[in-house]
Amino acid sequence: MNWERLRNVDRRIIFLAMGLGILIPLLFPVELPVGAQRITTRLFETVDAIDGQKQCLMISSDYTPQTEAENHPMTIALLRHGFTRRIPVLLNALYVEGAPLLADAIDQVMGEFNARATSREDSVIYGRDVVYLGWQPPPIVPILAMGESIAGIYVEDYYGNRTDSLEVMQHIHTYDEVGIVVAITGLAAPLWYVQLAQTKYGVAVGAACTAVCAPDFYPYCATGQISGMMAGMKGAAEYEEMVDEQFALGGRRKATEGMVAQSAAHLVIMAFVILGNISYFASRRKKT
Amino acid sequence: MNLSTDIWVWVGVVLTLCVYSFLYKDNPFYRFGEHLFVGVANAFTLSFMYHRIIVPIMWRPFAGAVRIAGEEGITPELFNPMAEANFLVIIPGLIGCMYFTRFIPGITWMVRIPIGMFMGYYTGRVVPAYFEGSIFPQMKGTIVTQASFDPAMGGGLMAGIFAVIILIGVIGTLTYFYFSKEHKGLIKVGANTGIVFVMVGFGASFGFTVMARVSLAIGRFVFLLRDWLGVIS
Amino acid sequence: MREKIPLALLIILGLIGLTDRFMPHPGPEALNQYLRDTLLRIISAFALILGLGNLIVRHFNRIKRKEEHWPHSYVLLGSFVLASIIGLFGGVSGELWFPTSIGGFQFDITTIYNKILIPLGASMFSLLAFYMASAAYRSFRARNWLAALLLISAFIVMLGQVPLGAYISPVIPEISQWIMEVPNTAAKRGIELGIILGMLATLLKILTGIERSWLGSGR
Repeated sequence: MNWERLRNVDRRIIFLAMGLGILIPLLFPVELPVGAQRITTRLFETVDAIDGQKQCLMISSDYTPQTEAENHPMTIALLRHGFTRRIPVLLNALYVEGAPLLADAIDQVMGEFNARATSREDSVIYGRDVVYLGWQPPPIVPILAMGESIAGIYVEDYYGNRTDSLEVMQHIHTYDEVGIVVAITGLAAPLWYVQLAQTKYGVAVGAACTAVCAPDFYPYCATGQISGMMAGMKGAAEYEEMVDEQFALGGRRKATEGMVAQSAAHLVIMAFVILGNISYFASRRKKT
Repeated sequence: MNLSTDIWVWVGVVLTLCVYSFLYKDNPFYRFGEHLFVGVANAFTLSFMYHRIIVPIMWRPFAGAVRIAGEEGITPELFNPMAEANFLVIIPGLIGCMYFTRFIPGITWMVRIPIGMFMGYYTGRVVPAYFEGSIFPQMKGTIVTQASFDPAMGGGLMAGIFAVIILIGVIGTLTYFYFSKEHKGLIKVGANTGIVFVMVGFGASFGFTVMARVSLAIGRFVFLLRDWLGVIS
Repeated sequence: MREKIPLALLIILGLIGLTDRFMPHPGPEALNQYLRDTLLRIISAFALILGLGNLIVRHFNRIKRKEEHWPHSYVLLGSFVLASIIGLFGGVSGELWFPTSIGGFQFDITTIYNKILIPLGASMFSLLAFYMASAAYRSFRARNWLAALLLISAFIVMLGQVPLGAYISPVIPEISQWIMEVPNTAAKRGIELGIILGMLATLLKILTGIERSWLGSGR
């Protein structure tokens, strides 16, 4: 066998195999149980334990369109969880590039809930159940200022309403009324909240991050500074499944849909690594 | 198959394919997408910055102060920086405008003023935050105590053993990256232990990075198959 | 003056930021609040000018000098100007006077974001999946036992983090979680402590005026 030729295979063949590895499972999906990791369960339980009468869930995002596929399902899963448990949800964007994505997520999940609602009580109402605070730069400013006054730093919400005129903001003033801040990130937002807000105001912090960032947050999960974490699309799928199992909401679960393709793509990459090693060792043996 | 009739979906598809054409080789379609991205992204940031920050935080307080001064005359309240309408917001605006001096020969140095102010405050804020949020709790979390082995305090035998492993790993990793002394004797033992942990950690990071990038590709494939072609539900 | 004024401002504001935690007095607190919520927020908003100015100048020069791929600079500048007009005069959701829809076809800046930026940004990042496969095939070799350890760790995590791992054996996700929670935590903590201590040293050098490279050499 010509090992040297195999080692120098055209990269486009690898790209094609990779593409097929993703495409075929999407076209012909099979059922695979998603399961749940300890850190995802911890995040779910922390959010679930919030007393909606006294505290709210804060979703803080710094993700951009580039990581939308990983992070957006996390936002949607958290919104579904909050709305089902009747926990008021406050959202803010730390970077402008992600600001409209949160508005899109709110519209989608509010639409899902209101399509099923039979009364005003059942409905999700903007201002009563959810507020999108919008975006204020630079990130250090809102993270610190929310400890003193949320409506003070976000004078107007994303849609231009006076924040202090909204119903839910009458009893949510500072981090004291925030059960947990879940930072949805492709960077390091959970660490900013830990370092700047948690140390000064004691707010609980959760992470919902791209898989690239996840390994760096494990030390903070171990010390309890980060209460729980959704790591990558798999973490989002786990959270989606937990919300669905608990509350039987239905609705599209984008992260879960991708899990079979994710498995297949991992297999393709592993197969290439093994093949690369076989050709490497075979050609080395031939040389000696 | 249920092909989309939405023009914007088709625009998204064309742009996705422009970018994916790079997989074959570098070409003008990819570069078109790349330049379009930078142009539109900056315009988007500029628009949001103007409407969401400059107008409400700077322009409205200043315009309000001008209006009040016109109606009621100039009062000391208009010079209170914490008031909703005040003239003093013009000061940070003028300092901000010093960024323009970067492009004006002769006074280029003035760009250092806003940079220095921002850097100074930011630096001052994060120094204690790093100590309190990272250095102290992470060191505390590494220390093995009796509680690590005590089930009544949330520990246990296995938890205690893992805590010892973490302690060895942290010391080993720090030793491995300590280059001020030659890796000999005890330091060599520590560094050799550290590299084992570093390799396992990097392997884990590689696995997670693969997961992240594949997820993004899945997102694009789902867009093409579902939103455009309508072949998956 | 060209160096001393910026440096003095950096040190003064740095000390104000530094001492905030240790001075729970209404006076310093109010000053801090003003600096943070008004002064620095507005200054940081203007920082965009620096980036945009450099970008525009760079691409004008590229066209002027007819550098490689210069026609694409027209795409960048044209799309920037057009989208800026739509965004600045049409408002973020098309609420201002500039028309941002024709019939039912909307093209306000938020729609442009959703329909142009998301596909482009997401596609560019997703290219990395393909290049990663190619790079792994060519260079991920078990040349020695440490490289083999890295490879094994990567394989376990890659399998353990997807449903397929649990389908093959429920032990795989358990080992994967253990790797993340124990050896990975140890390594990342060690690295993180090193990085943060290094950053702190640099920040303190900036604050005390020892590190002055940020002043650059421009006049």
